[in-house]
Amino acid sequence: MSDTPAVSVNHLTKVFKGTLVKGAFRAVHDLSLTVKAGEVYGLIGPNGSGKSTTMKVILGLLKPTEGDTSIFGVPSTEVASRSDVGFLPENPYFYKHLNGRETLHFYGSLCGMRGAKLKERASEMLALTGLEDAATRRVGGYSKGMLQRLGLAQALIHEPRLLVLDEPTAGVDPAGSRKIRDLIIEFRSRGITVLVTSHLLEQMQEVCDRVGIMAHGRMVREGRLEDLIAVENQTEMVIENASPALLAQIDALVKAAGSDTRLLRSGHPRTTLERLFLEATNEAKKS
Amino acid sequence: MSDATTSSAAAKTPKVRFSPQRVWTMAMATVTQLIRMKILAFLVLFCLLAVGAGFAFSVINPEQQLSLLKSVTLGALQIFSIVIGVVSTALLLPKDLEDRTLYTILSKPVPRFDYLLGKLIGVLMLIGGGLIVMDAILSLILWMRQSLLFDEAVNHLRMEKMDSAEAVTQMREIVARQGLTWNLHWAVWAIFLKATVVTTVALLLSSIASSTLFTIVITFCVTIIGHGEALIREFFFTPNLSGMTGRAAALLLAAICPDLAQFDIVDSVVNGEIVPWSAVLNMTSLAAIYVTVYMFITHLVFAEKEL
Amino acid sequence: MNRKLQALAVLLIFGVVKLPLEQHVTRDLRAHGMLQEPIRLGVGEDLGQAGIAASLGGLRGLAACIFQLRAHVEFTYVNWAKVDNLYKLVTRLQPRNSRYWEEAAWHMAYNAASYYLYNQELKPALRGQLYHDHVKRGVAILEEGLRFLPRNPRLWEKLAEVHAKRTYQFKDAGDAYWHSFQNGGLNYTERFAAYAYAQSNNPGSWQKGYAILKRLYDAKKATPGLIEYMKLLEEHLHIPAAQRIPEAAPVRQMPPPEEGPLR
Repeated sequence: MSDTPAVSVNHLTKVFKGTLVKGAFRAVHDLSLTVKAGEVYGLIGPNGSGKSTTMKVILGLLKPTEGDTSIFGVPSTEVASRSDVGFLPENPYFYKHLNGRETLHFYGSLCGMRGAKLKERASEMLALTGLEDAATRRVGGYSKGMLQRLGLAQALIHEPRLLVLDEPTAGVDPAGSRKIRDLIIEFRSRGITVLVTSHLLEQMQEVCDRVGIMAHGRMVREGRLEDLIAVENQTEMVIENASPALLAQIDALVKAAGSDTRLLRSGHPRTTLERLFLEATNEAKKS
Repeated sequence: MSDATTSSAAAKTPKVRFSPQRVWTMAMATVTQLIRMKILAFLVLFCLLAVGAGFAFSVINPEQQLSLLKSVTLGALQIFSIVIGVVSTALLLPKDLEDRTLYTILSKPVPRFDYLLGKLIGVLMLIGGGLIVMDAILSLILWMRQSLLFDEAVNHLRMEKMDSAEAVTQMREIVARQGLTWNLHWAVWAIFLKATVVTTVALLLSSIASSTLFTIVITFCVTIIGHGEALIREFFFTPNLSGMTGRAAALLLAAICPDLAQFDIVDSVVNGEIVPWSAVLNMTSLAAIYVTVYMFITHLVFAEKEL
Repeated sequence: MNRKLQALAVLLIFGVVKLPLEQHVTRDLRAHGMLQEPIRLGVGEDLGQAGIAASLGGLRGLAACIFQLRAHVEFTYVNWAKVDNLYKLVTRLQPRNSRYWEEAAWHMAYNAASYYLYNQELKPALRGQLYHDHVKRGVAILEEGLRFLPRNPRLWEKLAEVHAKRTYQFKDAGDAYWHSFQNGGLNYTERFAAYAYAQSNNPGSWQKGYAILKRLYDAKKATPGLIEYMKLLEEHLHIPAAQRIPEAAPVRQMPPPEEGPLR
């Protein structure tokens, strides 16, 4: 793998032009990020923080107002930059009238694949995403989880080096969601770079090597997951049915304890990330 | 990242060029989509109409009856082809955008022009296929009706003791001229050309607008003005007819609308005129010019459209 | 924004450049009889909303058909004014379809005229008047149609028939038959022109009629009717006995039946 980053975003600003009624809207403000080849990068942030806009600019669906983005060194404005990307949009829909296999053939042949190679690859992807049994059913009858998995299969059909996944587990039941996360982990083991957005933080924590937290169009925290969590070396108590008296007592105890304070129960790493996320997004709101 | 890295990486990735295979894939998907949306149901309606027009009005003389059959069915063909072209084009693009299918397609190495052209060709293939089927149905009914009517008319002449050789010959000529000829197929071709131009206009408008209704309404407006464009144009070219403002308005209207009346050879064909090759060539080249320029404009707008 | 302005510029520039081209193609197609002239509305003529909509939607033929069917319904109710009005619309929409002119005239000059002539409920003087008015209307319709289709043999023939059978203007009938023949009408129109000339009261027309019949006779295309009218004209024109045709059976050459009808 070369040193060329899989995704590079340089000082990206995206302003949506206003209309007569509505003023202009700045969705992304001076955002820079780099996704190294081979890693799983999680972009997290509340709704409206600019994650999807950033993804669309990276994929060339939107034009940057300022700054630039590139995929494996090819500017996103060029169609060729899309040769190495597979994209799974949020809640994807496909042509309802096609069945699973036809859908994969359609996307594969858009990528210039054909003949036996395309058929083989489509079968392979159906097997990988566990859709073999549903291959001949119309997509219109697929469940949400199946659609999501078909979305992954179509994103992978042309063997891209980068996968861009927008909320891949949103609205999918826990089992389906587990399956998707397992697939992401498998992609990493195959050396596929993954850029994923989500607001389901536990899941992100499980699969991401690095995360960036966005709020109000800006990157507010970015780094390796362990490092980010380590910085926030705080303690959380989880107490059930605590009376105010007990809380006061605990408070007094902690104060009295001094350096010998015993840790009753430390916060689970999952909740740490969540707190970090909330704090970070609140900070941005205040500033 | 340095510029050097960018350019070297960019140089490694081959440029994505126009690909007929990709356009064909898009077109076939569009055709399948439209067919599975049961859009071909109108063919059944057309058959009923053609049979009705062919056999319902037996009170009129044979020649007029054949001409009525042709007028009604060709008129219906024209309406069907334009409505299908406009509505399906206006529906497909916003639907792809709404369902985010467009994202999955354009995030593949697919130039936006290929996507547009594929959609257009898909719709046109559907219209063309429909027209071929309807032309065949019409030809069949016309041929059947023609021989039946001729026999009827000769019997009638015989009953009135007017079946002189000359009268029979005249009757045969009349019926043959009003019956099935090659001109009929050229009329259908002209209908296809007109529908093609209107569909391209619909595609152009739907690349600008986000609302299906807007596209449909404006395309129909352009279609209506397009049929009167010749009048507006002649008004502009006739000197001293009006003031500057009137002429400027006429010029603007004539400039933004295609002249659709140029494809209206249907009436002449119904009247039994022979379609010369030069007319076919003229109409076809004009339609090709419209489609090329309007597709270019659509591409200009759509290439940088924010999705 | 830049691209949108470019698109607009291309649209307008192409729009202006295409005008002379369209003008040329339209003229060419009209010259070949492929395109109809735009509808020219006279003063006080009402095309109706449907008619205008149809002419703008490229469906003039279809609209004409529908009006024609409506006229047919009115014909069954013997509502002649309505029939005339509807046919006026039909012929405005489709002036190059000779059958519409023919039918419109037939309704007026034959159906309507006879209806009034034999209508016992009307006063005799009025009956005659209405008969003549409608025959005249039929002639007017055919003459208007011939302005659009001056080379249509059938319209000429129909005009000739109205003159020969209804107005008894035999000179006009002869001229009309002759025009029909000149423009490719069937063979008998030539003979009929001569017959009509023979029945007129105009010596100039007799001369024309005689010339036609003599030519046909010499070409051995005589029929019993031809002989009869030739003899009549010989009398009218005081043809010297030596140049008159013999009192004998016609010498028409009949083709063997297997050769099919004569043209």
